[in-house]
Amino acid sequence: MSIVPSAKPAGALYWPVQAHRNIGVRALFLVVLAFLVAYGVLFPGLFTASGFAKFTQSWFPLALVAMAQAILMLTGGISLAIGATVSLGAVIAATTMAGPLGVAGGTAAVALTGLGIGAATGFIVVKLRLPAIVVTLAGSFIIGGAALLILPRPGGVIPAWLSDLLAGDTPAAFMLLVVIVVLWKLYLATPLGLSLYAAGENPVGAYRSGVPVDAARVAAYAISGLLSTGAGLFVAAQTGSGDPVIGTAFTLNSIAAAVLGGIGFLGGQGTMRGALAGSLLLSLMISVMFFLGFTPVAQYVAQGLIIIGAVAIPQIRKVQK
Amino acid sequence: MTTVAPLLAARGVSKAFFGNPVLRGVSIALQPGRVHALLGENGAGKSTLINLLSGALRPDGGEIEVDGRAVPRMTPVLARQAGIAVVQQELSLTASLSIAENIGLGAYPKRFGLIDYNELAARAKAACELVGLNEPLSTPVGHLALGRRQMVEIANALYRKPRVLILDEPTSSLSATETKILMDLLERLRGEGIAILYISHRLNEVMALCQHVTVLKDGTCTADRPLAGTDAAGLVRLMVGRDPGDLFPKWQPAVSTTTAITVRKFSAGLMRDVDLDIRTGEVLGIGGLVGQGQEDLLLGLYGAIPARTASATVNGVSGLPGGVPKANALGLAYVPADRKREGLHLIHPILTNMMLPAFARLPALKLRSRKAEGETGRSLAAQLAIKGDLQRPAQALSGGNQQKVALAKWMPHDPLVLLLNDPTRGVDVETKREVYLMLRAFAAAGKAVVLLSSDTPELVHLCDRVAVVREGRVAAMLERAALSEETIVSAAMGAGKQKVAA
Repeated sequence: MSIVPSAKPAGALYWPVQAHRNIGVRALFLVVLAFLVAYGVLFPGLFTASGFAKFTQSWFPLALVAMAQAILMLTGGISLAIGATVSLGAVIAATTMAGPLGVAGGTAAVALTGLGIGAATGFIVVKLRLPAIVVTLAGSFIIGGAALLILPRPGGVIPAWLSDLLAGDTPAAFMLLVVIVVLWKLYLATPLGLSLYAAGENPVGAYRSGVPVDAARVAAYAISGLLSTGAGLFVAAQTGSGDPVIGTAFTLNSIAAAVLGGIGFLGGQGTMRGALAGSLLLSLMISVMFFLGFTPVAQYVAQGLIIIGAVAIPQIRKVQK
Repeated sequence: MTTVAPLLAARGVSKAFFGNPVLRGVSIALQPGRVHALLGENGAGKSTLINLLSGALRPDGGEIEVDGRAVPRMTPVLARQAGIAVVQQELSLTASLSIAENIGLGAYPKRFGLIDYNELAARAKAACELVGLNEPLSTPVGHLALGRRQMVEIANALYRKPRVLILDEPTSSLSATETKILMDLLERLRGEGIAILYISHRLNEVMALCQHVTVLKDGTCTADRPLAGTDAAGLVRLMVGRDPGDLFPKWQPAVSTTTAITVRKFSAGLMRDVDLDIRTGEVLGIGGLVGQGQEDLLLGLYGAIPARTASATVNGVSGLPGGVPKANALGLAYVPADRKREGLHLIHPILTNMMLPAFARLPALKLRSRKAEGETGRSLAAQLAIKGDLQRPAQALSGGNQQKVALAKWMPHDPLVLLLNDPTRGVDVETKREVYLMLRAFAAAGKAVVLLSSDTPELVHLCDRVAVVREGRVAAMLERAALSEETIVSAAMGAGKQKVAA
């Protein structure tokens, strides 16, 4: 990876900084590993090519929305419109890709919609200084309404070859995720990207230090929108068609995954690797409980308890210190 | 007049907030190679003047000049480009980022659009060496003590290689050693031709460091002259506008033999195995370098953090209170250092803030009597000289007056023991005097005062005894006769045994 600009031994700063960021998530990584092992035991098929493909495909959209939520929470914001944005991404993909725009045009439409919605939301939140939770709640109605206008009932179509590529027996989803993570690391190594933390935790101080606080926050909303519609495209490819309400559950699951991953609500706390691990854990929990034969109700209750536990354990340890 | 053009100057600037004039026709000129002191009580307009000079605010009238040329629309960006760096009183750091990332914040070196971490490490290291920061550069700032964070803040300013350095009370959270490092550093920077504007309430620092002084009082400039030939009393006179008299009230012993609080083998937070007797009628000082556990001692006694003890008696009741309501019931009251966060509810009216402890004591569902509250509030305000409408939010008050409200709210409950955490930090001279008088009067009335302070003269002149804390233990208990700045500082730094039998 070309993240460290050069290998001068004297300036070994980047990796120690990264190591410090790992400290908070080590315990989480262990838990994820334990669930992975449990899952592998319950479902040995995980270690075959198609089992791995299926598993990463079920994780992939959750990973994207967890990132979309985490990037906002790092700036001190939040979005309740992620689910609606996923739905909109799905219906745009399902209505454009088989038409004259083709797959490339459809993908571009999905990406531009995500960026545009995100940037507009960010602009309203940041420039008008309105609370993110209210703006995105209102946004979820508008965006969800737009999805229903485009496709009032499930329909549309995703070209079969694209569905096979993304959601067939291929590791495409996993590879895409690797690419996205690398892009994220690169973004975080830019001044604008790293500004996320300063803008989230101490906006006044950051502004006085010359950090482009507003730009960093608007950019975070735009990236968040892009990740959300991207997740929508993938979900549409999985089902082969578009559904205007398919994304609804992602709003709260994205928050759950980010919180599991140690992202704080106050801004500037947590890491993206934590949020990704959180989404993986949530995805694993759902699968493991499914294999253990939990009823859906029991699954939800267990999920809730685990999330509270995940937030409470570090807190209890801090108090005990 | 000097012939050199000032690097940064304000010419007759005025600024008003919501119709209240804060600055009226103030001028100041920062010359290269000079440390310029800016003095004034809280609310005199110092912070506003800094904000005008650094472009954070725009003046209503007058001009800001850089290198003798007027800058019509000063902004933080322009100020930075002109080489103006400000070390603000409120820290501007990000706890989750490393020391290096904080030092470079806002001006990262770039390579192919990415942050050049090697270059950043080299430049941050150079800045750290200047201020004596030797922690690894990758340490998250959140892991550092307050004083070290202040040093990171200063390193952040130096990282930009400023021509003009503005420091707003940089030493209020620094230990004596760190203060010394900063003083030497500023002296060196001055020698390199940097213009320095230095704001501090500590007059001995100002006398030692600065060559020129501007004094603000109520938004106007009452002095702009070389410091040579003035003494501390003269400066105070200029700030207060009248003869300061004695800053500290005359010390008269009022100590009795009865103890208010006795603890044996007391441990809380950083504090370990403390034996302490707090007598009624005394002001017991708690001194030491910043962050040695002093605050934990107060909080532990107050029941705000878990504490263990072999035996304890608090106002005749055995055992520690173990909780704030219990502590209040036993006659303990605590005034925190961070009045903005812990002492007051800033957006709520002054009156509500004064009534808070009363709310905790009243039956939960009893109707409030606005009339009685109003009367109590007015009498407290009169007692403590808090001016103005009590329905204004507490944030409308200056720092000194906020501190008075934080103190006042306990007065109706007639506490037997006052636990004070640095009550005069960032408080103007006049309010300091009022607080000192109150504390002595309180002790004279047969109550106990525990005064944690980072201001050594305060400990020397106000206290009957001083417990000097070092590394979580009471390193020395100095009796009145042995109190001097030297004995406190040397005990704090562990230089020589100063233990005097208690």
